[in-house]
Amino acid sequence: MQIEFMHQPGNTAARIALRPGETLTAEAGAMIAMSGHLGVSTSTHKKGKGGLLKAAKRLFAGESFFLNHFSAEREAGEVWLGSALAGDMMQYELDRQTLIVESGAFVACAHQVDIDVGWQGFKNLLSGESLFWLKLSGQGPVILNAFGSIYPIEVDGEYIVDTGHIVAFNETLDFSLTKAGKSWVSSMLGGEGLVCKFRGRGTVWCQSHNPKSFGKSFGSSLKPRRA
Amino acid sequence: MKSVIKGGDAFAFVEIELEKDEAVIAESDAMSSMAADLDVQARLNGGFFAAILRRFLVGETLFVNYFSNNTVGTKRLTLVQATPGSVRCLELKRETFYLQPGAFLACTEGVTVGVKFAGFVSWIAREGLFKTVVSGTGKVWYGAYGALLERDLDGETIVDTSHLVAYSPGISLKLQLAGGIFSSFFGGEGLVTRVTGKGKIVIQTRSLSGLVSWLNPKLP
Repeated sequence: MQIEFMHQPGNTAARIALRPGETLTAEAGAMIAMSGHLGVSTSTHKKGKGGLLKAAKRLFAGESFFLNHFSAEREAGEVWLGSALAGDMMQYELDRQTLIVESGAFVACAHQVDIDVGWQGFKNLLSGESLFWLKLSGQGPVILNAFGSIYPIEVDGEYIVDTGHIVAFNETLDFSLTKAGKSWVSSMLGGEGLVCKFRGRGTVWCQSHNPKSFGKSFGSSLKPRRA
Repeated sequence: MKSVIKGGDAFAFVEIELEKDEAVIAESDAMSSMAADLDVQARLNGGFFAAILRRFLVGETLFVNYFSNNTVGTKRLTLVQATPGSVRCLELKRETFYLQPGAFLACTEGVTVGVKFAGFVSWIAREGLFKTVVSGTGKVWYGAYGALLERDLDGETIVDTSHLVAYSPGISLKLQLAGGIFSSFFGGEGLVTRVTGKGKIVIQTRSLSGLVSWLNPKLP
């Protein structure tokens, strides 16, 4: 499986070349073009890995209930994937580790990667991120997308990421919700509110822009929705 | 202090390396990530009265954040504006520059951020009745929605309303019809801003009001 990104970071598309026998699993709606001879199947789960329960959990995580599987059976082929929001994409090679992914950031993965929904505790209710996170584990490539550019931060000790900016992080990291700086009053007045403090050793990938902040910058000029 | 603007024209963000005892002042909610041991303080920007003026006249927030490095090492801070688009760094050397409401992102100590009456022309041109004034010595980061075009002006040029992002003090604005009565109203340009004088002007390639008027008819 060869993955290549184009038009980064503004309007990124991923081109995935599949060798015979390889299958790519992608979020429903992500495919923008593909070779005509690829087999496509839609399921609520990875074959032989969980079932409706996992799909229902994924729905909670803000992801689609369905996943599409693109398989190159006898002949090689390619799939192009895009995302709804303008922004960057990244690839991560899982090698028997676990990556925690902000729901909504998931685009696709190799068929053999396991997708599960993780619970990061009630702190997520307040964090402005979604309550559930995807847990990708196993072996193979993973493709994620974001609103804005993606930049990695190597954490060794502690690092602060504003809520709404997390794309994914290694399972070796843990985060808690806290204040920016030393004082709560200051953090609230300064408009940063709650921030996520990561602890441990690993990488956290951040998206440069916050979809909510962008929404706020022009949302009030949009006409109200008819009830 | 080292700073780099990354992310290209589409999704620019600023990465700043703060050395010991250095500080940066940034607009509220501009922090995207930072080293956990940087100190953050919310401050009224330029005293109570100036901050109130900034809040109500240019729509900036009442408080700005003061990020300072009180450790011994070099600490990283990443700042971003709310909208996708370009960010520029301006080096002021005892100079003054005008920014449109909302364009200010951050500055170093030594730069004063204030408010000035921009005139009714600016207001009708949808550039705001007031403008942000940055002056002093240091770095200023500002940005806009879309990419930024920079022009050195000596004479005059015409800019569509709500596209002017920043200009130097030697520049004045006048309002006029884009063409004749017919082309002004049917050509979609309507009013334009005639910019005259000597200095630098910065134009954004997109405008939020353009996005809004494109979106509104499509909403259910």
